[in-house]
Amino acid sequence: MKRVIRSFLRYLARRRSLAILQLLGIAFGVAAAVGMTLASRSALENMEGAVDFLKGGSTHTIARPAGPMEEELLTKIMNDPSVKFFAPVIDRRVRLATGDQVRVLGVDPFLDKNVRSITREIASSANPEKREDTFRSFLLDPGTVLIDEYIAKAGNIAAGQSLMTMQGPLKVVQVFANPSGEPLVIMDIEHAQKFFRMAGYIDRTDLVVTDEAGLRKRWAQGFIIESNQQKAQTLSALLGAFKLNLQALSLLALFVGIFLIYNTAMFTVVSRRRDAGILLAIGASRGQVTLAFLVEVLLLGVTGGALGGIMGYLLSKFLVQIVGGTISTLYFFLRHSALPWTFWNIAGGTLLGCAASIVGSLPPLLELHRVQPVQALRGRTTSRSASKKMKVVGTIGLSCLVLASSFFLLSFLNVYIGFAGAFAFLLGASLFAGFIIMITVPFLKRIFSYAIGLGGKIAVGNIRENLGRTSVAVAAFMIALSMSIGLSSMIDSFRHSLIWWMNGQLRGEAYISTKNDIVVPEEAYDELKKVPGIGGIDVFRNVEISFRGKPAGITSIDAAVLQKYAQFAWLEGSDRSWEDVRRGDVIISESFSLRFKVKMGDRVTIDTARGPAKLRVAGTYYDYASEHGVIMIDRSLFFRLFNDRTINSLGIFIDAPEPEKEGILEKARQISRKYGLPFSTREQFHQRILGIFDSTFAVTRSMRIIAVIVAFLGIAGALMTLFVERQKEFGIYRALGFTTGDVARITIAESIGLGLISFFMSTVVGTIFTFVLIRVINRQSFNWTIFYHLTSQPYTVTFLTAIAASVAACAYPVWSVIRKYPIMQIRED
Amino acid sequence: MYEKKAIKGAIVISAIRTYDLWKEYETGGHDGIALRGIELDIAKGQIIALLGKSGSGKTTLLNLLAGLDVPTRGRVEIDGVDLQGLGEKGRTRLRRHKLGFVFQFFNLLPTLTSIENVLLALELAGRPDEKLARESIALVGLNGKEDRFPHELSGGEQQRIAIARALVKNPPIILADEPTGNLDSHTGTQILDLLTNRCRESGTTLIMVSHSLKTCQYADRILRMLDGRIFEEESYEGFAP
Repeated sequence: MKRVIRSFLRYLARRRSLAILQLLGIAFGVAAAVGMTLASRSALENMEGAVDFLKGGSTHTIARPAGPMEEELLTKIMNDPSVKFFAPVIDRRVRLATGDQVRVLGVDPFLDKNVRSITREIASSANPEKREDTFRSFLLDPGTVLIDEYIAKAGNIAAGQSLMTMQGPLKVVQVFANPSGEPLVIMDIEHAQKFFRMAGYIDRTDLVVTDEAGLRKRWAQGFIIESNQQKAQTLSALLGAFKLNLQALSLLALFVGIFLIYNTAMFTVVSRRRDAGILLAIGASRGQVTLAFLVEVLLLGVTGGALGGIMGYLLSKFLVQIVGGTISTLYFFLRHSALPWTFWNIAGGTLLGCAASIVGSLPPLLELHRVQPVQALRGRTTSRSASKKMKVVGTIGLSCLVLASSFFLLSFLNVYIGFAGAFAFLLGASLFAGFIIMITVPFLKRIFSYAIGLGGKIAVGNIRENLGRTSVAVAAFMIALSMSIGLSSMIDSFRHSLIWWMNGQLRGEAYISTKNDIVVPEEAYDELKKVPGIGGIDVFRNVEISFRGKPAGITSIDAAVLQKYAQFAWLEGSDRSWEDVRRGDVIISESFSLRFKVKMGDRVTIDTARGPAKLRVAGTYYDYASEHGVIMIDRSLFFRLFNDRTINSLGIFIDAPEPEKEGILEKARQISRKYGLPFSTREQFHQRILGIFDSTFAVTRSMRIIAVIVAFLGIAGALMTLFVERQKEFGIYRALGFTTGDVARITIAESIGLGLISFFMSTVVGTIFTFVLIRVINRQSFNWTIFYHLTSQPYTVTFLTAIAASVAACAYPVWSVIRKYPIMQIRED
Repeated sequence: MYEKKAIKGAIVISAIRTYDLWKEYETGGHDGIALRGIELDIAKGQIIALLGKSGSGKTTLLNLLAGLDVPTRGRVEIDGVDLQGLGEKGRTRLRRHKLGFVFQFFNLLPTLTSIENVLLALELAGRPDEKLARESIALVGLNGKEDRFPHELSGGEQQRIAIARALVKNPPIILADEPTGNLDSHTGTQILDLLTNRCRESGTTLIMVSHSLKTCQYADRILRMLDGRIFEEESYEGFAP
């Protein structure tokens, strides 16, 4: 037995180029899955680390449902019997002169040290003689702050220097170590109140509580009490759809990876069928032959998997930046640092490589186990039996498609059913590869024969004759190309839907600040109102709330302004719904409607500063601003319910004719500059949103590239195997008078033929996959409608990718032809 | 189980018997009958030359006799034991212990050296004995080439190694499919001499499928195949293979 295994393993050394291709195939497949998994895990661990650091030892927080809470409430909180420690906090953002945004925590150093370790460190690192001065300065000098090491390093700022912000300079008295990763500035709470123009108010109070139930009972109306556990759940829920997206991408990467590994395993088995036949003829049992193959496949799996584990780790370092960047842009700041290297990266990769290799090698090994020795002795399977098998495989593919359709119909139950449907669909489609080759070969033969004559006919004939190999290579390549078309078309459609939505909903001539940027002082709003020519200002305020235990948003707007200037797209209701909003009704976003199953005419109950309020839904509008859902209410009602005058951003609408517009905008820009607020024209605002959109899909694009690399290796492996197997045929070509150039052209034509068939299949499969992503996956994950938009770009790019990958894949086989063909002879061994 | 049956069959003097042996292939509507009711009885120790044109069914018959393929109808008995009744495991044991194979294209494992190829047959038979393997290689005249890989040997040398691999385990039956078909005339003669002499010495039954009339000179019996049927020939003179 050892000798049989040794004989098989020597093959790897003998056909090094093929073995390296096989090894790389497995390694890339594993790397894609490991890289994506590590990147998403690292992002989530960073998030947990940041949250843990900032919450310190607090157990709960108390805040108003929206906006700041009154300072005088602190006495009542202090006297609450359930409260052991309390620490008032101002938690805001400020934009630095460099344009970067940083978080500012306003804390009371005396109260906060019972809750947060960071506050205890104030003045701790200073020189003992200067310690008291530092502390006194922090406490008494307005605009004195502590900055973390990241800000200090980025701005090259040391203690005693100034930190320049768009709202004025801040004096740095100390630099501290910040394990949370988020750029952080700490300020005394009193100075923070002045800095943010919120005298008498705080954002929240962090608590250490002994009796949660009692506290909740006493502060039930007008307050939101959140435990740390709830906060973690909220953050996790906030990232729910994003995490799902990452998981899906990891699975897709693994899916293509397994395909490639299957490809590799199948080539290993099929290319040595004859050896198996010899072994069976001289008395080896099927079990022994199967075991020998399994050892070889596992050796490739272990080596490729381990290599993939290392490559996956390196890939995760790159991906974690994209993932972290996207989370920071869309949800909350996250410093992206990759997970530390561990041995488990190799172990995990090896395990994955082995598991996928076993799964991948099962079909060919089972076939080998069933085949008569005499058939194995013949070596390559005949095209006739392969054709018959392709019909059977096609029938299985059809069953997969039926199964996929059932999953899609049931996907409303759970998004994972939708994912299962997507995988069943891709699997089903891939099983048609052989069948498609069979029916496209006559057309290809005509084209190739016209293009390069007899060689073209031979090339296409070879694709048809070696159906067992070529169908798997086409399937793997087709899946990667379909993913490319599907993901690109989905992103394009989404982008077009977003532009359509922005053109209707965000029609202001200019915008001051944004939802995630710094707060707009009311004085700025008052000044703007006085600028002649401004027809209306939409005062935008967004607060995150918990609705039926899930995160959602309340957006306050000026209904009269939007009624006049905006053109909302309605799912339910119409522009007349604005009248109802002005009277005290609300409108809801599509995602809110789908997520919470609320329709026009229903009533929603929300917690407000005055207790629960029941509001009638006057309409549902298309929205891509938040996948968690938004309740939109008029500012007057919002103020009545929440007593919150905070302004997140202002939308400026101008009635004046074109020549005067510039002057009015310039005045608005000056006011904005005066208050250190970011200003953008409509075009800039739209471009910024599109920029965020594009960065959100950076991960998806990266995975698409990896999928194409993996599939490229599949095609290269297939061509290389065919080259190795067909040495005898090359001898015949030589005997017949084919030149090296002719055979090289045949090889190139075969590769391009495989690429073309894969591309043609992927145009159909990819387009259907786009609809699956839009109608099933996105709708279930994000609860919004994306309108399909046909653009030629995804198809053109994919076509060029297919041709480029095919040509690149045949480079080595062509080189081998040029090197070896002149000495080839007609012989078997 | 196979051994028991073989002992039971000890009174049978036939080494190989076939009964109404048919083999059909699926050929998409064409007549794909390779064997048409072959009845054959080969005694122990006989050397048979099986002649016939290409496509007459010679190799198909050989594959059925070795249990490498299954008949569409009829049965094959080796030492009185029905091959179909043996099952896959039994047929594997039969090939390990009772059959030796020599192919036209040598079919040596390309990644094993000469000695390893021969040793492999012994290992599978449960008797790994390197000394025996070396002796077997010496007997076919390839002393000193034990550590060469097949691609480092000439065609004739490769066929000698294949013969050494078939003979080393001393099987009662050797099936040779065109053993000289891929060799030049001189080497072919040497191979036939070697193979038949060794079989006669050890009382091994040998069936040689061939195109070549020269094979008949070495045979006790000449069988000719034509369109899937088998005919006994008294002499090879006067007919084309």
